[in-house]
Amino acid sequence: MKRNITTTINGEARELAVETFHSLLDALRNAAGLTGTKKGCDVGDCGACTVILDGAPVCACLVLAAETDGCNVTTIEGLQSAPGSLHPLQESFMMLGGAQCGFCTPGILMMAKALLDENPNPTDDEIRFGIAGNICRCTGYTKIIDAIRDAAVQLRQEAKGGGKS
Amino acid sequence: MSERQKFNVIGKSVKRSDMLEKVTGAARYAGDLTLPGMLHGKLKRCEIAHANIKRIDTSKALALAGVKAVLTHKDVPHVLHYGSPHPRSASVTKDQYILDTKVRYWGEAVAAVAATTEDIADEAIRLIEVEYEALPAAITLDDAMAAGAPVIHDNGLEGNRVVPDMLFKRGDVEKGFAEADIIIEGNYAVGRPQPAYMEPNVCVAQWDGSDKLTLWTSTQSAFMVRGTLAEVLGLPLGKVRVLCDHMGGGFGAKQDLFQHEFLCALLSRQTRRPVRMEYSRKECFLGGRSRHPGTIWLKQGFKRDGTITARAAKVVFDSGAYGSHAPGVTAVGASALTSLFRCENVHLEGKCVYTNTPIAGAFRGYGVVQTYYALDIQIDEAAEKLGMDPAELKLKTAVREGDIAPSGHAIVGHGLEDCIREGMKAVGWKERPVGCGSAAYRTVSPADGAVRADALPHPTSKKVRGWGIGCEMHGSSAYPGIKEQGNALVNLNEDGSATLLTGAAGLGTGAHTALCQIVAEELGLEFEAVSVVHGDTDIVPWDIGAFASHTTYMVGTAAKMAAAEIKQKLLARAADQLEVSAGDLEVEGGFIGVRGVPGRGISVRDCVAPKLGIPAAHLFGSGTYMPTKSYSFGAHFVEVEVDTGTGQIDVLQVVPVHEIGKVIHPIAAAGQIEGGIQQGIGHTLTENHEIDPKTGRSLNANFVDYKMPLSMDMPDIKTIILETAPDPGGPWGAKGVGEDPIIAIGPAIANAIYDATGVRFRHYPITPEQVLEGLARRRHV
Ligand code: FES
Ligand code: FES
Repeated sequence: MKRNITTTINGEARELAVETFHSLLDALRNAAGLTGTKKGCDVGDCGACTVILDGAPVCACLVLAAETDGCNVTTIEGLQSAPGSLHPLQESFMMLGGAQCGFCTPGILMMAKALLDENPNPTDDEIRFGIAGNICRCTGYTKIIDAIRDAAVQLRQEAKGGGKS
Repeated sequence: MSERQKFNVIGKSVKRSDMLEKVTGAARYAGDLTLPGMLHGKLKRCEIAHANIKRIDTSKALALAGVKAVLTHKDVPHVLHYGSPHPRSASVTKDQYILDTKVRYWGEAVAAVAATTEDIADEAIRLIEVEYEALPAAITLDDAMAAGAPVIHDNGLEGNRVVPDMLFKRGDVEKGFAEADIIIEGNYAVGRPQPAYMEPNVCVAQWDGSDKLTLWTSTQSAFMVRGTLAEVLGLPLGKVRVLCDHMGGGFGAKQDLFQHEFLCALLSRQTRRPVRMEYSRKECFLGGRSRHPGTIWLKQGFKRDGTITARAAKVVFDSGAYGSHAPGVTAVGASALTSLFRCENVHLEGKCVYTNTPIAGAFRGYGVVQTYYALDIQIDEAAEKLGMDPAELKLKTAVREGDIAPSGHAIVGHGLEDCIREGMKAVGWKERPVGCGSAAYRTVSPADGAVRADALPHPTSKKVRGWGIGCEMHGSSAYPGIKEQGNALVNLNEDGSATLLTGAAGLGTGAHTALCQIVAEELGLEFEAVSVVHGDTDIVPWDIGAFASHTTYMVGTAAKMAAAEIKQKLLARAADQLEVSAGDLEVEGGFIGVRGVPGRGISVRDCVAPKLGIPAAHLFGSGTYMPTKSYSFGAHFVEVEVDTGTGQIDVLQVVPVHEIGKVIHPIAAAGQIEGGIQQGIGHTLTENHEIDPKTGRSLNANFVDYKMPLSMDMPDIKTIILETAPDPGGPWGAKGVGEDPIIAIGPAIANAIYDATGVRFRHYPITPEQVLEGLARRRHV
């Protein structure tokens, strides 16, 4: 049975018809056409599907789409504030080798954003803990941690009004 | 490199060409594709390890609303194929059907369904009834090699051999052992790690009005997929197009052709609609490819001064239910034992055997992970017996310039010695903590508190630390096993930019970026002026696939040749325009200048752009690079901490030193090393696809029970890259780096555990339970 829901995705109210038993992940990828969010396991084990739901990071494969009626969802497609202006996390991941195959990257970027929103000045251990549920099989995490640390510095400078020039 | 060459583009960590798409979620993977009217396919998998199919009833599935097609072995071409569609020289086991009347491992597909939704396809799969006639199964190597074992493939060979046994020999081992002062002999055992790429296998198939098949699939070898699909489906090559833009990892395994790729194509042909099929994570374990488990018996003789006088080995690999890469992996793994640590007298036997278990295939490190695990650990054992430092013994016996490599080529440079020396310096090897791994510690039980004092955060702590070193070397390109070639086409556009066309897959390693850097460097362009087209068998030049550390080395050289051809045409054109001789021109940063006359010249763009009455010049170049081989080297230095109360092993730090010739993109190269270490820590300590030895059923086909090292488990890695032994065959001396880093980490960890605890392990994975058992055994001796 399909249900009509209205979910705000990346700032835009989207009316979606979803099966009651379908996950938010499937709704995003299929009904909403946002394929940036990835499916690595579909059972909450890998973090590839991480999105931000009403301010908190979740595995989209573990959330029923129907439950997000009226909610706010941010996906990787909504991480940039505007086309052409990347989030500092995206810049750092690009420059510091935070992504290789890129399949884990959307989930890790969203998890990292949630982490930095909550803790703008994390230690390396806090970064490791923050992304503990995200499997990356390519990088050994070294450069992911470098990139998150670097983005945190940039964000703190921006917050201080320093901006990015 | 002797003469210091100045580089503008290579050697710099430019922004990778695939990154913007990947950080914005715009990158397209095969599974992201939706086509109008697309159906969803699913496979029915058996739940028995060895059986004949007596009956398949698909009537209930076909009757379900929304089901558009069901295929069983009766409906598909009955053509044998190579599971790993390499050229004939490497793939010798034509032993797979798309669907057979028999199943040979728990989880093999027996039928396929296409339906309007995934949910309906799932339901249809449940409605298919299969009746099996169970056959006795051979789950373990011992089962399969026993007299009277069930025959898995009727290939005329005894003991379920995939191919006849192999032998690699040199010198006289009998004489070598007779000359030895000490002899060490041991059995080493290796587990069944999975590549566990994050992107599950997925493809979308579509046939157009001219009966041409297009398959979007996550593959490392699009041209191999094209060739095999064409052969098995009886199509000319021109009627098959394979596309793969980005892929979410493969690590070797996605060189094979999987059942869903054939079946998706056939379901689409039958329904005349596009069909998408994606493996679940569980299916990636069951229907994917693992590393080859197996055993290695190894015996070596040593002189008192450490000289190795003889080496004999018997390598036995478990191929699983089909041959796939077993012959290649066995040959590469066994023959690798001719080298690494010098020995004139070798006698190495290789055997690969079918069992009723999921298929083993290609996986980063290709047989060498296993055999060098045994070899390196045994050298460590010898060092102790000889009273030598293990790093010193490895340095003393390391292969060097002019030695004959497993490929038959002479080794270039002293890469392995350089890595060992550099690492010893970097970690302060000789000054490492006293007591750590010392004989004194080992003769006292940990219960007596005889652990090294400075390792203890607290006097009652039961944690002990140790250091280990592991060594490796690995070839770039699969030559001579496969007579490879690297191809590239480059176009110079009328705005002075260049487009590289390559068949090398977008595996995620950054290889495309490296290729663009090579073109930019050779052509004298800025990196940003070069773009890449890849992943379409109708457009790009043929490539064997992204594996065997082949892309930068082979395709890189081809790309350099293609760029050089254009450069020649470009300079000739500029010479005309400038009325100078082409030999006086040089190009750098997009500007063609007259040597010695600053400012005189013309931009590349102006040289080729259209002018009034003159159309644009279209310059193109092609490069084909034929087989050659080089070796990269590495030594890993590892510190571990072992909790003697729980058996928990913690890798504290890794200092990997790799010699890879000229580095094209330092961050990408380091990324390969760090990722390889992650997978290597995994197979050494926690990763093992467990198969029930009675039923053949998978016991841990998910990411909770199959435990990989994640962010909290990963140690600090201080990567050191050396460029001391550039290879004349690679672009500016560049060599491969993809496979190397997963090889040395395993023995380094095992040796460090020994150093910390005095317990010697000759297998992987090494579990906490085994550490506790080992410690208990030590206390009782
Ligand atoms: S796909 Fe959601 S956690 Fe893996
Ligand atoms: S970049 Fe490939 S899984 Fe993380």
